[in-house]
Amino acid sequence: MNTKLIRTPIAYGPEGQPTGAGAEHSRSVAPTVGDSARAGLGPIKISAKNIKVFYGEKQALHGVSLDIPDKAVTALIGPSGCGKSTFLRTLNRMNDTVPGARVEGRIEMDGEDINDKKVDPVLLRAQVGMVFQKPNPFPKSIFENVAYGPKIHGLASSKSELEDIVQSALKRAGLWDEVADRLHAPGTGLSGGQQQRLVIARAIAVEPEVILMDEPCSALDPIATAKIEELIDELRERYCIVIVTHSMAQAARVSQRTAFFHMGNIVETGDTEDIFTNPRERRTLDYITGRFG
Amino acid sequence: MTDAASKTGAVSARAEKLKARLKGRYAREARFKWFGRGAIAIALAFLAILLTSIVLQGYTAFYTHSLTLPVYMDPARIDQAYPQGTNFEQMVAEQQLVRMGVADDENGSKATAMRNLLSSELKFIAADRIRAQPALIGQTIPLTTPLSDDAEMYLKGKITRETPENLRRVSDQQMQWLDSLKSQGVIRAHFNSALFTKGDSTQPELAGLLGAVIGSALMLTVTALIAIPVGVFAAVWLEEYAPRNRLTAIIEVNINNLAAVPSIVYGLLGVALFINFLHLPRASPLVGGLVLALMALPTIIIATRSSLKAVPPSIRDAALAMGASRTQTVFGHVLPLAMPGVMTGSIISMAHALGETAPLLLIGMISFVPGISAAIDAPGGALPSLIYIWENASERAFHERTAAAILVLLAFMIVMNAAAILLRRRFERRW
Ligand SMILES: Nc1ncnc2c1ncn2[C@@H]1O[C@H](COP(=O)(O)OP(=O)(O)O)[C@@H](O)[C@H]1O
Ligand SMILES: [Mg+2]
Repeated sequence: MNTKLIRTPIAYGPEGQPTGAGAEHSRSVAPTVGDSARAGLGPIKISAKNIKVFYGEKQALHGVSLDIPDKAVTALIGPSGCGKSTFLRTLNRMNDTVPGARVEGRIEMDGEDINDKKVDPVLLRAQVGMVFQKPNPFPKSIFENVAYGPKIHGLASSKSELEDIVQSALKRAGLWDEVADRLHAPGTGLSGGQQQRLVIARAIAVEPEVILMDEPCSALDPIATAKIEELIDELRERYCIVIVTHSMAQAARVSQRTAFFHMGNIVETGDTEDIFTNPRERRTLDYITGRFG
Repeated sequence: MTDAASKTGAVSARAEKLKARLKGRYAREARFKWFGRGAIAIALAFLAILLTSIVLQGYTAFYTHSLTLPVYMDPARIDQAYPQGTNFEQMVAEQQLVRMGVADDENGSKATAMRNLLSSELKFIAADRIRAQPALIGQTIPLTTPLSDDAEMYLKGKITRETPENLRRVSDQQMQWLDSLKSQGVIRAHFNSALFTKGDSTQPELAGLLGAVIGSALMLTVTALIAIPVGVFAAVWLEEYAPRNRLTAIIEVNINNLAAVPSIVYGLLGVALFINFLHLPRASPLVGGLVLALMALPTIIIATRSSLKAVPPSIRDAALAMGASRTQTVFGHVLPLAMPGVMTGSIISMAHALGETAPLLLIGMISFVPGISAAIDAPGGALPSLIYIWENASERAFHERTAAAILVLLAFMIVMNAAAILLRRRFERRW
C-alpha cells in the first residue's frame, strides 16, 4: 500500500487556513511530500486547451485548459454543477452521445487531436476507459462483463486467451480472489464495491491508456472506498488516471495533481500537495476548507 | 417555574396537534385503501357478470344431440347411381310416422313436421353410407343423425311449452314426438365436436368454428410477422438513432395519434390500399393481417419506445464508454433489456388485433364462407367476424354458438396473455 493512503489529511485551522508545514509557503517553495509525488509523474498524456462545452444554449465549460500527466492520478474537484463531469466526458468524447451537446477547443492525446474527423470515437474509447459514479455492470455474468471489451475489439483470438485476459483484468482490479469461483454468476449480484471493481476490471481488460473515473466512490461505504482508492493507487503505475471526486480527503489521498473547477472554469491547477496546503486562489482555499461546496 | 409550566403546556399542545393530524392521516390512508379495494371489486364484478352471462348463454353450444333410428333403405326411392339425389329426410320421416302409428293427412304435413326435426345433414350421412356400400339398399340399418336446430332448442330447454304455440318454431305435436323419442332412449346428448371440426354453415347444427380459428390464426401470423419487426425497428430508430428535429417530432406526434385512430378507419384504409389499389384478394387473411398490422404498429412502437426509455442510461453509458458502437450498444444491451416490455406490448397488441372486428367487416369478412379455408389469399373467416355474423343470424341456435365463439375467442386471448407473462418472466430471468 502506498504510504500516501495512510497519511492523515491536512488539518485546517479555525480560520480555514492550512496549518502545519507549508501553510504559509509561497508557490516557489516546494513542499517536500509534493516533490516525491511529482518525481513519479510521467510526461503529459493529455493536453486540453480552451475547452468550451455547450448543452444547447447553456454553456457548461468556459474555456478550460489542463495538462494531464501520464502514470499519475489527476483529481478534478469543485462544487457540484461546476462542469467536472462535463470535462471528463470530453476526454473520451462521451459528450458526443449527449443530444445537443457541443464541444469546442482542442484536446490532444499524445499530441494528436482526439476531436479530429479521422479519430473514431469508438476506437478512442477503447484507449480511454471510463468508470461511472454508479457502478454499472452489464446485467450479465461477471465473466461476460470483463470479456465484453476484448470481444468487441477483437483482442482475443481464442477462448483461452480471452479467459486469460479476463483473469488478469480481474486480478489487477483486485477482484479475482473474491469471484474466481463464481465467474458465471451475474455481475449485478455483487456488492457495490465489488461491482465498481468489476467495472474497473472491465475497463482495464481492453488495455486502455487512460482511465476516467467520475466520483467512483460516492455510492460506496468507507471500506469499499478504501479498497478502490488502494486500487487506484496501484493502477497509477500503468495508466493515466483522471478522477472526479467530491471528497477533498480522497483527492488528497489518491491524486498527485489536482484541478479545482468552479462555475465552468478551472480556478487553479497544481500538485495536490500545493493545492491543499498552499492554494494560490482565495476560492480554492474557501472550497477546500468547506466554506462553500 | 411558570415559564417551565407554560413550556410543557405548549409541548403537550403540540403533541396533541400532531396526534390529531396523524389520526387524519391514517384515516385518509384507510379511506384510500378502501377506494382501491372498491374499484377492484367493481371491476371484478363487471368481469364476473360478463363471463357468467356468456358462459350461461354459451355452454349449451358445447353439447348437442343426435338421433339414432332404424332406416329402411328403400330401393324404390334410392337411385344407386346418384344417392345424394334422394330425399332421405322425407323417407326417414315417413318411416318414423309409420313406426309411431301416426296417420298423415293428404298434404303430408305430419311428415313435414317430422322431417323438420331432422338435420339436413341426414341426407349426406345416408348418401355417404350408400356410396360406400351400395349393398345396403334394401336393408334396414341404424342411422345416426344430428337433429335440426329447432329440435335442438327444444331439447336444450330454450323453446318451452309456455310460449304460445303459434309463436314458437316447435309445435306441441313435435314436442310430444321428441319427448317420446327421448323416452325410448334413441336421442343421445354428447359433446358437440362439430363446433371445433367444421367450418361455417347455414345450418346452425352443422356450423363450426374451425374455419374462423384457422382464419384468425393465419391473419394473426401475418400481423405478427409484419407488425412486430417493423414496429420494433421503427421504435429503435426513433428512440436511438433519429435526430431530434422537427421532422421526428412530427412523426412522433403522428404515431401517438395513429394509436388513437378508430379501427374502422384502418378498415377503410385497408380497402382503399390493399384491395382497390394493390388488388389483393378480398376477405383474405392476407388483407386482414395487413390491416391489423397497420393497426397494431403504433401500439407496438409506443410500447417498445417506452421500454427502451426505461432501460437505465447507465447501461448505455457503460457500453458506449467501452467503445461499443451505437448499434452494438442498442442491439447488444438496450434492446435485450427492453425485451420483456417489447414482448408484452407486442402480444397485447396482437390480442387486440385478434378481437378487432370493424376493419374485418369492411374488408369483406362479413360474407358467409362455407367450410374451412386454410389459404392465406382466399376468402376466409375470422373469429370476431364470425361472432358478428352468427349473432345476426335469424336461427336461434346460432346465438348460443355466438356465445361459445366468444368463449373460444376469450380462451385464445387468455392463452396469448399467459404467453406474454411467461415470455416476460423468461426474458427477465436471463438477466
Ligand atoms: N446532459 C446535459 N444537458 C444539459 N445540461 C447539462 C447536461 N449535463 C450537465 N449539464 C449541466 O452542465 C453543468 C455542469 O454539469 P456537470 O459537468 O455534470 O457538473 P459536475 O460533474 O461538476 O457536478 C451543470 O450546470 C449541469 O446542469
Ligand atoms: Mg458530476
